Amino acid sequence: MNNKSNYSTFLIISGIIATVILTAGCTTPQEDSATNELIVAISTDVNNWHLDKFPGGDARFVWSQVYETLVRLDTDLNIMPGLAESWETPDDGKTWIFHLKESVYFHDGTPLDANAVVFSYSDESYVKKMGALRSLDHIETIDKNTVKFVLNRPMPLPFYLTHVAWPIMSPNCIDENGDFVAPIGTGPFKFEKQTPDQEIVLTRNEEYRGDEPVLESITFKVIPEASTRVMALETKEVDMIIKLPEYEVSRLENELDINVYRKLTTFTDFLQFNCNNGVFNDKEIRKAVAYSINTEQMLNTVLEGIGIPAKGRPLSPVMMYSKPELDLYEYDVEKAREILSEVGWQDSDNDGILDKNGQPLKVKFIVGKDAWSSRHVPMAEAIQGALQNAGMDVDIQILESGAITKLENEGQFDMILRSGYFVWGPYPRHFFIHQSSCPYSHYNNTEYDKLANAADSTADSEKQQHLYYDLQDMVLEELPAFYLVHEEKIIVANTYVKGYRITAEDPWLNLDGVYLEGKQ
Amino acid sequence: MLKYILKRIFLVFFVVIGVTIVTFSTMHLAPGDPAEVIAVARYGDDLTQEQIDWVRVTEGFDSPVYIQYLKWIKHVMHFDLGRSLVTSHDILEEITIRLPATFKLAVLSLVISLCIAVPVGIVSAVKKNTVIDHLCMSAALLGVSTPNFWLGLLLIWLFSLTLNLLPSYGYGNFEHLVLPAITLGTSMAAITTRLTRSSMLDVLNQEYILTAKAKGLDEKTILLRHVLKNAMLPVITFAGLQIGFLLGGTVIVETIFAWPGIGKLLVDSIYARDFAMVQGCVLFIGILFAFTNLLVDITYAFLDPRIRYENT
Repeated sequence: MNNKSNYSTFLIISGIIATVILTAGCTTPQEDSATNELIVAISTDVNNWHLDKFPGGDARFVWSQVYETLVRLDTDLNIMPGLAESWETPDDGKTWIFHLKESVYFHDGTPLDANAVVFSYSDESYVKKMGALRSLDHIETIDKNTVKFVLNRPMPLPFYLTHVAWPIMSPNCIDENGDFVAPIGTGPFKFEKQTPDQEIVLTRNEEYRGDEPVLESITFKVIPEASTRVMALETKEVDMIIKLPEYEVSRLENELDINVYRKLTTFTDFLQFNCNNGVFNDKEIRKAVAYSINTEQMLNTVLEGIGIPAKGRPLSPVMMYSKPELDLYEYDVEKAREILSEVGWQDSDNDGILDKNGQPLKVKFIVGKDAWSSRHVPMAEAIQGALQNAGMDVDIQILESGAITKLENEGQFDMILRSGYFVWGPYPRHFFIHQSSCPYSHYNNTEYDKLANAADSTADSEKQQHLYYDLQDMVLEELPAFYLVHEEKIIVANTYVKGYRITAEDPWLNLDGVYLEGKQ
Repeated sequence: MLKYILKRIFLVFFVVIGVTIVTFSTMHLAPGDPAEVIAVARYGDDLTQEQIDWVRVTEGFDSPVYIQYLKWIKHVMHFDLGRSLVTSHDILEEITIRLPATFKLAVLSLVISLCIAVPVGIVSAVKKNTVIDHLCMSAALLGVSTPNFWLGLLLIWLFSLTLNLLPSYGYGNFEHLVLPAITLGTSMAAITTRLTRSSMLDVLNQEYILTAKAKGLDEKTILLRHVLKNAMLPVITFAGLQIGFLLGGTVIVETIFAWPGIGKLLVDSIYARDFAMVQGCVLFIGILFAFTNLLVDITYAFLDPRIRYENT
């Protein structure tokens, strides 16, 4: 009897196994062979295609195939013509005249003209509503192919207009009620279809000016988990992946049929201090932090050597006006302890934590729970250890954006770990973050504000360089933030993906000249 | 019987109302200004106070919370869950697009889980305290303690990367469903196995089983007709709860296998502070959950006459 019940159990279980194996047997790995259809894995879906909202997550990688900007950057961030053939400023940056390229057509067949530019920067567009182009007064159409941007103050507008999220869209993207219909751009690929949380399919734009792309189509597959993206690449279910954890890089670099592309990008991780109140109100203590952190060691241990140590340098070396010679902070924990003891912090009770007037040196350290967490959390732990070594008691709090905003508004934190902020292209708009008018600023210095405004309002590049050099010296001396690591961007593809050149610009995927050869 | 069912449906209604109130208030009590979070999602980092205020007024965050709640309920009564605050997509549509994926995964995982758990549980109970029993229970313990994300990645590594049998991610054919369903199914099976075993043992110790044995019934009849039927009641309740959970989405497995289910939609919306979407999802999941439980209760009443008689 027992044998019988065992037997039926066995039958059921083997039945399950058989089903699994049989159905599995039906699968053959995808073999759409000789065609030039590229499959790229990204981590988030594109949930917005229209200019009235910001394309968050990985959406900009997809946007950059469909939409184009007036001004473009090459793979090394040099400015070059995009949809505009040339531009000039008759009055040192207060008005800018752009001459559009002739015979450029949108995906619906309508020609690109000055009206499309006006439409793309209309009051409906988020770029108009947001801060960066607040100084844009209006746009005039001079003729069919010429537009004039009139600003309230001089600014280096062409750099701003390289932003992937502010491209030129066809007025036909919306219907007469103002509702969005379809993504219509001028890019090398046309929108074909989208399945939510699964895939976005783009096809070749046969009417593309200049060199027609070789790829017939690009399919962006949405795979949120980084480890799955890596395995899907290794099984060749996808051809290329973006955004992968640092710890996978060295292993993949050793794989023969995989190419790892790395390039220093425009992004830098930084430790922003609450300079307005709390312990970091004192510049000397901020300096002590800077001397306590060994960014080189942190890079090599936590980030597997990917990126370069910033040692306080606010701008990545690839950025425009990044000053080559700066007075950087070399790791020197003894010096940090000296500085702290000079300003009265002593370890009077021998518990390893410095104190002053009976109060221990406590630091509340915030880290965001977001796309950057996978690198920021281990970095924060390394910083915690380093500061403990200098005698500070660091409390790490990992929070989501809403909670961080609340603490920031109330000033209830001491430091926060961040990446980027106002970074697009090579232009150092990033310095806005320490200006007191910026909602993310926790630093109040009229001298800094003046210098940053002057730098951003100067059209003459020599003068501008001078001002930005001064600003970098000031950031290093004043330390509204301590800059840690200049990031490297990583793109990984199977070796049958040919012709790929990685760009320094971050949310930009350059598929110019890419083709597939010998995909099994 | 009808009265019993009506009474349960009446209760379900209150459960759903309760769920909506709790979600609504927790989303509003969570730190951070919703208007600001949504403004960032729409316009990027470079914000002004006017933009935040504009969002606050246009999205109705300036009125008291209970007014916002009542307005929302009014729309819900007309089957209008509104539009996402971040993406402007229709919420009901976003949910229904993902429903088939969630449903398929939930059903297959439950089937896998029951196919493993019930036979193994029975064998364990019958062979109580033997090597087989210990082996089964150790396996169950291992199953409970294996994290889903680890098992999922391991299965991809084995079946996709090494054996090249199954796709590593995505939604589509039956083969896409296999790995996520096994990941979920095996971890659920672990608990159900233990439940089946202990529930079987409970029944085996009952006096009517002794009676059955005494009157000379063969062991198979006793096991299948008397023990199993009675022992299945708690298992069914538990399976009902599990399917409720599964229909609410399984974020980890959905994330690992890039499975377009409701769970990930919900969690993404929570991070984006997309109140409208979160409320829509929670309401939907709440209703599903309540109704699966209602269904379980009704099945229960059919299986166990005592429940029928108590309530009529």
